[in-house]
Amino acid sequence: MSDIQVARRQRRWHIAVFLLPALIVYTAIMIVPLAQTLNLSLFHNDAQNAVHFVGIENFRTLFVEPRWAAQFWNALRNNFVFFLIHMVVQNPIGIALAALLSIPRLPGRAFYRTAFFVPTMLSFVIVGFAWKLILSPIWGVTPSILGAVHLKWLFAPWLGKESSALITVALISVWQFVGIPMMLIYAALLGIPDEVIEAAEMDGVVGPSQFWKIKLPLILPTIGIVSVLTFVGNFNAFDLIYSAQGALAGPNFSTDILGTFLYRTFFGFQLQLGDHYMGATIATVMFFIILAGVCAYLFLIQKRMRRYQF
Amino acid sequence: MASLALEKVTKSFGKTDVIKGVDLDVREGEFIVFVGPSGCGKSTLLRIIAGLEDQTSGHVRIGDQVVDAVPPAKRGIAMVFQSYALYPHLNVRGNMGLALKQEGIPKAEIEARIKKAADILALDALLDRRPSELSGGQRQRVAIGRAIVRQPKLFLFDEPLSNLDAALRVNTRIEIAKLHRLLGATLVYVTHDQTEAMTLADRIVVLNGGRIEQVGSPMELYKNPANLFVAGFIGSPKMNFIGGAIAAEHGAQTLGIRPENLEIAADGPWSAMVSHVEHLGSDTYVYVEMAEHGLIAARIVGEALHQPGEMVRLKPVPEFLHLFDENGLALPRPA
Repeated sequence: MSDIQVARRQRRWHIAVFLLPALIVYTAIMIVPLAQTLNLSLFHNDAQNAVHFVGIENFRTLFVEPRWAAQFWNALRNNFVFFLIHMVVQNPIGIALAALLSIPRLPGRAFYRTAFFVPTMLSFVIVGFAWKLILSPIWGVTPSILGAVHLKWLFAPWLGKESSALITVALISVWQFVGIPMMLIYAALLGIPDEVIEAAEMDGVVGPSQFWKIKLPLILPTIGIVSVLTFVGNFNAFDLIYSAQGALAGPNFSTDILGTFLYRTFFGFQLQLGDHYMGATIATVMFFIILAGVCAYLFLIQKRMRRYQF
Repeated sequence: MASLALEKVTKSFGKTDVIKGVDLDVREGEFIVFVGPSGCGKSTLLRIIAGLEDQTSGHVRIGDQVVDAVPPAKRGIAMVFQSYALYPHLNVRGNMGLALKQEGIPKAEIEARIKKAADILALDALLDRRPSELSGGQRQRVAIGRAIVRQPKLFLFDEPLSNLDAALRVNTRIEIAKLHRLLGATLVYVTHDQTEAMTLADRIVVLNGGRIEQVGSPMELYKNPANLFVAGFIGSPKMNFIGGAIAAEHGAQTLGIRPENLEIAADGPWSAMVSHVEHLGSDTYVYVEMAEHGLIAARIVGEALHQPGEMVRLKPVPEFLHLFDENGLALPRPA
């Protein structure tokens, strides 16, 4: 009896020792900053620069005070549009590319796979700047390329028009990141055993109906993961818009998303002074939006989804 | 009329010839087993019949139709895979009904066929379960059910028992034999296990290195193997081969004798030393070391009390001697 207790106590100690390094690192770089951010969002400084506890006053300011609310709701709406474009363009294209890549005996498979994945490895700064040049109405190649096929009338300064800037930036991001859903889904497709596919061939389930009836249901769990990754990535996005459109996310804030809004608020930009307390408030709101999205996935969707063992 | 015919079928993967010209006629309602060591091409041959692989040359005929360019689903065949290959996302009913739905068969008819197959295979209680909720034996039955509902002219089984444990394998073997009698359909079955081949087949096709070594009923192959390979492959423990002077006495290069046709008798002509004894209850396998000829197995009915190291004399039953020439081909029995 007492022997068992001694053994148990010893085991507990070594578990703690092994967990400690990870715990320290995680606490230092994740938990403390997060707690600090959440804490900071509950304070504000007054005209004399004295800091007061203000409770949820910052959130009220952000949501309802006209000057802040207009910017916040604009950024949030843009962010949802940004996310939706990824969901309806990036992920279906990723799935389609993966399905094409998994065609048996496809010539040049390795080349296509690499070619589609390369943009993902490029820096945001390069992608943003390169596309800015490509689409520039003054020295960009797009007008002349379109002109060469007599489609010049199609061209517009897409990045410079309020109506099209957000869509254009989102499509640039899609171009950059389509490799990630493609790779994940390609791996899932390769995981389907050959015999199951052959059984489908024997059953007359071939071509597109084989994809819809056999393959797609088997890769649904992966598509779920891809959707969550897209959601988290999009609501944390900042870099591409900053490098293509600048911190003001022009024209006239039409490409402003929560990331760029947070950046301007927290660090200040041009005439706007940095406000750590309102910045932390936006960061907190972003944290809760992402938390809500991930929780909705984990508790509502993933629970109903089956993982298949083959 | 042949239900399945292979005409000079060959298959090469790059420079490797896997099937080197196979001719075969399968009669209506026959249970044919392809057997051979791994890599002999038996699975490839089955996949060619199924249409999952294209032959390099030659023709496949199913019924009265040449099916070389016909896709698998249109060949009027159904296949049971080694890993069962059930659709993990569909329940048992869905697995069995998918092919019929794809063909556009009316719902009531699909239901009726599933019901009938489920009755035959005792799957009624499992129709709403998914493959992950079934045991290996149940999955096997679903895989067979998926084949039955299509009412094919020809069933193909690719090593269907190799993922089952030993006890279940024997039971399922008996069920497959019963099922074949019940359905009366032509069935081609691939296995590497000669016991399965012996117990199930109407005719066995022994394959080796991409060629047919011999085709015949199980007892035909057992009693009159056409060559050394078939003689050694069919039967367990395998046939003893003796060369040298003893074979020469009979005018052969190699002499074959099955373990059960060897007696241990004081007046036997061959002297040997017992090296190992296996007691199986019903039989005893006595392995003896014979000078120049190596290990020889003798199968004694009942219990035989021999000790390793003991010297014994072996007596072959003369009418069961098999003689092979220098090319390994069987010579006619000495009269």
